[in-house]
Amino acid sequence: MHDDVINESKDITILELLDRVLNKGVILTGDIVISVADIDLVYLGVKLMLSSVETMEQIRSGKAPEVKWKG
Amino acid sequence: MEKNLIYVYCISDSNQPHDSMAGIPDLKALRIGNFNVYVKYVSDSEFSEENLKKNLNDIQWLDTNARDHLRVIGQIMENESVIPFKFGTIFLSEERLNKFISDYSSSLSENFQRIEGREEWSVRIYCDRKMMSQQIDRLSEEASSLEKQIQSSLPGKAFLLRRKKTELIENETDRLINQFGQEYYNKFKELSNLTSLNNILPEELTGRTEKMILNAAFLVPKRNVESFMGKADSLLKKDDNLGFSIETTGPWPPFSFISLKELY
Repeated sequence: MHDDVINESKDITILELLDRVLNKGVILTGDIVISVADIDLVYLGVKLMLSSVETMEQIRSGKAPEVKWKG
Repeated sequence: MEKNLIYVYCISDSNQPHDSMAGIPDLKALRIGNFNVYVKYVSDSEFSEENLKKNLNDIQWLDTNARDHLRVIGQIMENESVIPFKFGTIFLSEERLNKFISDYSSSLSENFQRIEGREEWSVRIYCDRKMMSQQIDRLSEEASSLEKQIQSSLPGKAFLLRRKKTELIENETDRLINQFGQEYYNKFKELSNLTSLNNILPEELTGRTEKMILNAAFLVPKRNVESFMGKADSLLKKDDNLGFSIETTGPWPPFSFISLKELY
């Protein structure tokens, strides 16, 4: 367990992964680098994609997709 | 296409760069000042400002690359202490990277001093509210005395008191979750040098049904790591079946304990 957390984290979801690597560490902005500027937009994009994948799978498995509002 | 951009994984202060690492063919260690800067050269077609933006919308690309970021830093960290960079930080030229390192050199050194001999551990505490509220008469004096009152009241009054109790259960559950959560946090804190509170993650992100009540990172001296890892079990054993679960993971790259003084 102790020495293998990064490998074990193979199982973590993409959103959780991004929470670890996008919000912290050395964060640089401005002219000196190219960087991921709008993190919220990345999250939003991933959420949208995940929910449409979910919908696709529900359609494929014959279940009616559940319509819900996400805040 | 020419790979002329420099993607930075992390910096280490070791004297011995590990230039080749199993499973990471593109990794390069640049010696800049007193630091090893771990990078890979990448192309415009993937990492120019415009193309990076495009790629961030590609979930497969994002997943592969973010995972790679964490994995590579983790592997370097096995031998050296590192300052991790946020995922997707790309320098336009070696000149700019050199300038950054030399401008920030003292701030980087301070960060290395802070993390020296220490590891970042993550503690997430979840609580099953229902499980706790079912035991409320045992845990809360207020709830148990109200329950006694209900039992000894006539039906009409008992009905009103029951309604009052429903509300009391919610409040008392909140209070107890805070009380125990704080106690647990303090126990982990005692074993660490620094702590950092991170955002509570929603259920859709954790994939769990219980609510997350604490998401914290701790900077733990290596000699305390074993006790730190055992802490969750001993706390849960002490407060058997209250509905808490505690997830301790690590060591992570010290993402939560890096701060560079803003220079430009």
